[in-house]
Amino acid sequence: MLVTRYVAAFLGVVLMVATSYAKEHEGKEYIQENGYKGPETCEECHPGTAKAFLETVHWKHASKVDYVDNLKAGQEYGMKNRIYTMCNGNDIVNNLKEIPPNEAGKTKFTGCNTCHPGDHAVDVGSTGPEAEQAIDCLICHSGKYDFSKRKPAKDKDGKIVMTQDRSTEAAMDIGRPAIKNCMVCHESAGGGPLIKRGFAMTKDADVHAAKGLVCVDCHTVKNHRFPTGKDPNNWANDGVYLTCAGCHNEKPHKDDDYNRHTAYIACQTCHIPRTGGAFAKDFTQWAKMDNGFYEPSTLKKEVNETTPVYAWYNLTVSNTPHFIGPKGSRSDGKSKIYPFKVYQGKAYYNKLDGQLLSMDFAPPTATGDTLAGVAAAAKTLGIKKYEPVPGWQTIYFGSNHQVAPKSKALTCANCHAINGILNFKQLGYGDKEVEKLTSPAIYFNKAFKIQQENE
Amino acid sequence: MNKLFSIAILLTALVISNLSLAPFANAEEVKMVGEITKITMAGDGKAATAILKDTKTGETVTIDITDELTLDKFKDKRIVEGDEIRCKFNKQDGKNSGKTFVKTAGC
Repeated sequence: MLVTRYVAAFLGVVLMVATSYAKEHEGKEYIQENGYKGPETCEECHPGTAKAFLETVHWKHASKVDYVDNLKAGQEYGMKNRIYTMCNGNDIVNNLKEIPPNEAGKTKFTGCNTCHPGDHAVDVGSTGPEAEQAIDCLICHSGKYDFSKRKPAKDKDGKIVMTQDRSTEAAMDIGRPAIKNCMVCHESAGGGPLIKRGFAMTKDADVHAAKGLVCVDCHTVKNHRFPTGKDPNNWANDGVYLTCAGCHNEKPHKDDDYNRHTAYIACQTCHIPRTGGAFAKDFTQWAKMDNGFYEPSTLKKEVNETTPVYAWYNLTVSNTPHFIGPKGSRSDGKSKIYPFKVYQGKAYYNKLDGQLLSMDFAPPTATGDTLAGVAAAAKTLGIKKYEPVPGWQTIYFGSNHQVAPKSKALTCANCHAINGILNFKQLGYGDKEVEKLTSPAIYFNKAFKIQQENE
Repeated sequence: MNKLFSIAILLTALVISNLSLAPFANAEEVKMVGEITKITMAGDGKAATAILKDTKTGETVTIDITDELTLDKFKDKRIVEGDEIRCKFNKQDGKNSGKTFVKTAGC
């Protein structure tokens, strides 16, 4: 056991050293000599990569999904086309556009696909040589990307495009994506910084970031396909998955009691005790901001303020118009207890079929008229008959990031004290079992020993 | 004599505690949304000042920035002049020290 740990530690060091060396990317002389011409320059050494990238979630914003209820077989789902109440729009109805002027005569560009790594002229999910050449490789791969050069603008024909930094200077600093390359898009999802996920990938907030790890150290990419966890609300995937055990194995603790827990408690439950971000939004009622534009009314918390709820999860998802969340139970033999951020969103439903309606944000951003937004989205989607009625949807977001330092991880009493964070009754335990699970008898000696060591 | 000595000790303790607590007592946390009109980086890159125009009042506010994350965003122009920012800062002794500094825009 001890030998295994030493080997693991050694391999870890080797990996980190290799990682730091991997930052030096070959081919800089070629780029300096020939200048950077976009993906065709990258393709000199990575032939076929651009075409392959067009098949990934980052480009398509959608994929087939096989673990969620009530989806159409063979159809792809993702931010390209999903309708739910964290966003209530998607790339189709909220395609990047210039919104109408507000009361003050001000306008702005907005759209869900502003983060799509193309140029918007060829858009989400497009294919072919033009799409291949539109990829913004450097936004993910350059440490010197000038983000001020990436912005929506009108081209000479009045068409809205996303400009890119294709400078030689940016291309000379290529390598593996750093945290900022990922977070420049991922931290602003859901309407603003740290709204949707509510986690910060910073040294202060996450133990992995504190140790110098970056996103792609865990999301180990192969051919631009990103392994992810199975979040109840993050459906689109590249067909590859990861878990904490990939690095930490199934029995990562020195303490056997803790190791026994890993059979039915997910790592995140003890090691991610807090998240943050939005916990409720009302899309039927937009609030006027000081800048004269309107935004959906949003209740939110800071990065470390939200206490999760805990539920059994067998990595399959219940998906109905009013609920998106984990399936699972204590008795199915597949579930573990996971932490979730529970989010509740209010939006318009179609009284005629009970389905959630989508919203084009351009009209309400300018005037606050939410029904005009529903009408614009219905027109885009070809929905002719609908009767909008407000309703609520509850969504469970997986708490999978912002891992706390060991000293802040949950210990025995956090769950097993009589006022502990786990509601054993709700989790399916009988009265006698709850009595036993919340008795100090099962943790007293261990907790006392830890307390003495820390005093 | 003992009584006088005790009073002196007590007064000294009061003065010291007042002095040490003064910075915390006077600091006021301010939240603001505003457009950046000017960013000035220090020569060593370890500090910056940003001038914001408050969208509510139209007043200009100068904020000192020292946190690494925001400075990095200035350096690679993830935040530039003209961006609308939601920020928190501590106002104290005529100086504003930035706490959080993020763009309002999202998707």
